[in-house]
Amino acid sequence: MASLSPSLKKNVLRHESLLLLVLLLEFAFLCLYARNFGTPDNLSNVVRHSAEIGLLALAMMPVILTGGIDLSVGSLMGLCAVLFGVLTHDYHLATLPAAAVTLAAGLFAGGFNAFLITALRLPPLIVTLGTYSLFRGLAEAITQGTKTYRAFDPAFLSLGETRWFGVPLQAWILTAAAASFYLLVHRSTFGRSFRAIGFSPEGARYAGLSVQSRTALPYLLTGLVAALAALLFTARLRQARADAGTGYELCAITAVVLGGTSIFGGVGTLPGTLAGIAAIAVLTNGIGRVPAVFKAGIGGELASLLTGALLLVALAGPELARVLSTRSAKISPSPKTL
Amino acid sequence: MRQPLLRLSQITKSFGAVRALKGVSFELHPGEVHALLGENGAGKSTLIKVITGAHQPDGGTLEIGGTTVSNLTPTRARKLGIACIYQQPALFPDLSVSENIGLRLEGGAFFAKVHWKQRRKNADALLARIGAALDPETPVRSLSMPEQQLVEIACALGSGAKTVIMDEPTASLTQVEQELLFGVVRDLRASGAGVVYISHRLEEIFALADRVTVLRDGQSISTRAVRSELGAMELTEEELISLMVGREVASIYPHRGGSPGETVLELENVCCAAGGIANISLAVRAGEILGLAGLVGAGRTELARVLFGITPADSGTIRLLGRNVQVRSPQQAVSLGIGYVPEDRRRHGVILPMPIAENMSMAVHPKLFPGKWLRFEAERALGLRFIEELGIKAYGPEAPGGSLSGGNQQKVSLARWLATEPRLLILDDPTQGVDVGAKSEIHRIIRDLAAKGLAVLMISSDLPEVLGMSDRIAVMRGGRLVETFEGSTATAQRVMSAALRPS
Ligand SMILES: Nc1ncnc2c1ncn2[C@@H]1O[C@H](COP(=O)(O)OP(=O)(O)OP(=O)(O)O)[C@@H](O)[C@H]1O
Ligand SMILES: [Mg+2]
Repeated sequence: MASLSPSLKKNVLRHESLLLLVLLLEFAFLCLYARNFGTPDNLSNVVRHSAEIGLLALAMMPVILTGGIDLSVGSLMGLCAVLFGVLTHDYHLATLPAAAVTLAAGLFAGGFNAFLITALRLPPLIVTLGTYSLFRGLAEAITQGTKTYRAFDPAFLSLGETRWFGVPLQAWILTAAAASFYLLVHRSTFGRSFRAIGFSPEGARYAGLSVQSRTALPYLLTGLVAALAALLFTARLRQARADAGTGYELCAITAVVLGGTSIFGGVGTLPGTLAGIAAIAVLTNGIGRVPAVFKAGIGGELASLLTGALLLVALAGPELARVLSTRSAKISPSPKTL
Repeated sequence: MRQPLLRLSQITKSFGAVRALKGVSFELHPGEVHALLGENGAGKSTLIKVITGAHQPDGGTLEIGGTTVSNLTPTRARKLGIACIYQQPALFPDLSVSENIGLRLEGGAFFAKVHWKQRRKNADALLARIGAALDPETPVRSLSMPEQQLVEIACALGSGAKTVIMDEPTASLTQVEQELLFGVVRDLRASGAGVVYISHRLEEIFALADRVTVLRDGQSISTRAVRSELGAMELTEEELISLMVGREVASIYPHRGGSPGETVLELENVCCAAGGIANISLAVRAGEILGLAGLVGAGRTELARVLFGITPADSGTIRLLGRNVQVRSPQQAVSLGIGYVPEDRRRHGVILPMPIAENMSMAVHPKLFPGKWLRFEAERALGLRFIEELGIKAYGPEAPGGSLSGGNQQKVSLARWLATEPRLLILDDPTQGVDVGAKSEIHRIIRDLAAKGLAVLMISSDLPEVLGMSDRIAVMRGGRLVETFEGSTATAQRVMSAALRPS
């Protein structure tokens, strides 16, 4: 596995390298000006706090690569957190079996999305918009909108603080997930099919690819990963509530798109998604520590404002440059690949 | 001497490091049909796009009606009286035929009122003039390739342009529609318009063109008159070919095979309401090429789609190597050893943004990547093998399909299915848009594969190809199989009359 895959090589030269540059600048700026930003302790925190969104973004990437979208992941996190609470509190299940059931439930919920999308051929946006409300509604119905589960096994709660070799557990999990998704997307025939389907579902069908099963897989994975994120979230906050993961789906999608994956499908790389996750995580953490002179009096909302601006610049920039430089040629080979 | 409609001199155009045009000069006079000829990738379509403003040339001058123009845009070209039928129909799939025609032809004022009745009548009249039996209200999405091409022709005709450009308009048309098109071209010429006509079918060039310009590797090699003042032929087919490729090419079909082997495919009363075909019974044996002839809309492509599981059969039996099978999806068809080179290469044959090696390996994932892990070296080797074998003009296996010329895309689509080493290969116009040299090479490859035991079902809109290649010829009309001929006894007349006879 020495060489990069050809499609990866080409993309790395474009959007992703630009993003990496932005990320480095951002990092350097924050190290210089933000209070205690560059300390090992704070960097651990950056990872701990962004682990859930990071995991969701990693799982979201293949979905978007197929030209789909999954808006239900944040709500599913809430539902899974509550389910885990119910299982441990009301049914007195031990942590491990409860976690296993929660993961299975996540997988099942993902399967529900996948069924509606592939078997009934409904548009992913509509289906997951529906389950976005459905899953959150279920979570709220179970807790009557108020109940919070707090009495968890101390061993489970300590997961939120655990470090291996001085590195938080979340970092290990993120790394393992990133490696797995990298292999799936860039090294396996699954990833190749995702890409083909993203470019042209009809074309993929005529090539004899199993379009239905390959479209379904990413939704199963987002379901599973949402359940995993719910467990991590519960351990970190030491409580499970129905509103866990609210708005996380949009953060995850932002990270993926910022990382260069085309919302139309077909184009994108996993390292790009990682850079997108990092850019948002660093920004969110660092902005709070920047002295007031840099904030132009905006304060708390600055992080989301900057994330939005970053997204628009990152997307519009290359497009604008392309339109201006080659107004005619639609697909011209990049000279670097020759 | 009248002012030429178009004068191009020393036009150059590069895409990245690919030099598509290296200096092309070309003139079009009013009242002439000027053919543009060249191998796949010679630069014909690129030249056309320069004339229509779709591409900006890097160098050279372009004169339209005697004035030099620069920074041409498609809108301006249209205003200057240039209409074009692109190699790939560029219609709006979700709009109806009449809406598409209306959009092309009616002025684009912002709040212009749409006269629906007028628009419909107009579309009706244009379609009738080219003899296309199409309902103007059908959405373009549901039209086949050749039908879309007819709509394109109607648009070009209705534009009243002084310069009409046709890039392989007949690539998927059969004889009858082709004759209708010829009528249109002759009318245009008689009315004083100039026509630029691109085709790989040399007989069309002899039938239509007054002059021909040959392109080779992005350069104009020579411009010749096809006929003298008195109407005598000035050029031979051999001369044209050698101008085009710079060498001799045998344009004869390979010898027919010996005796065919076991029956590979057998159909009994196969019906498919969605595809509009009924009661098809036929058999194809190993080593045999069965040609499928018929007009546009006769149900040939629909039959292929049934066999490949895209629109599964409603009733009847399909037997493959003696076993009854149900083909419910293309995936299943592939695992049964069926390959299908589709009619519409841009939508179904090639995924344009993907590298050509990835396109070629797409139907052999289980064979090439047994553990589901990609093997980039093996894939690259596959790409290189077919680039070599089919003479594909591309800068490498990593070139995206969309950067290839039309004929070369067709070869990629073919390569994908040759790579599967199928038992039954269904070819739907396998050589559409492919130049003469590559065409005979593809014919030889198909014949060789048949000799090794492949069963081939070949649909072709090119009658000489059907006659030259097939061991037997089945003729379809109105969704039914009407007659079968032995290849050696079939003639163009007999096949055509079977395809045309009113039922
Ligand atoms: N958008 C593009 N990007 C990169 N290369 C291109 C592009 N369009 C065309 N080319 C290259 O330019 C050359 C000429 O292509 P063109 O489409 O003009 O050929 P053609 O003569 O029309 O061939 P055909 O008979 O197969 O249609 C080819 O080598 C092709 O690969
Ligand atoms: Mg062309």
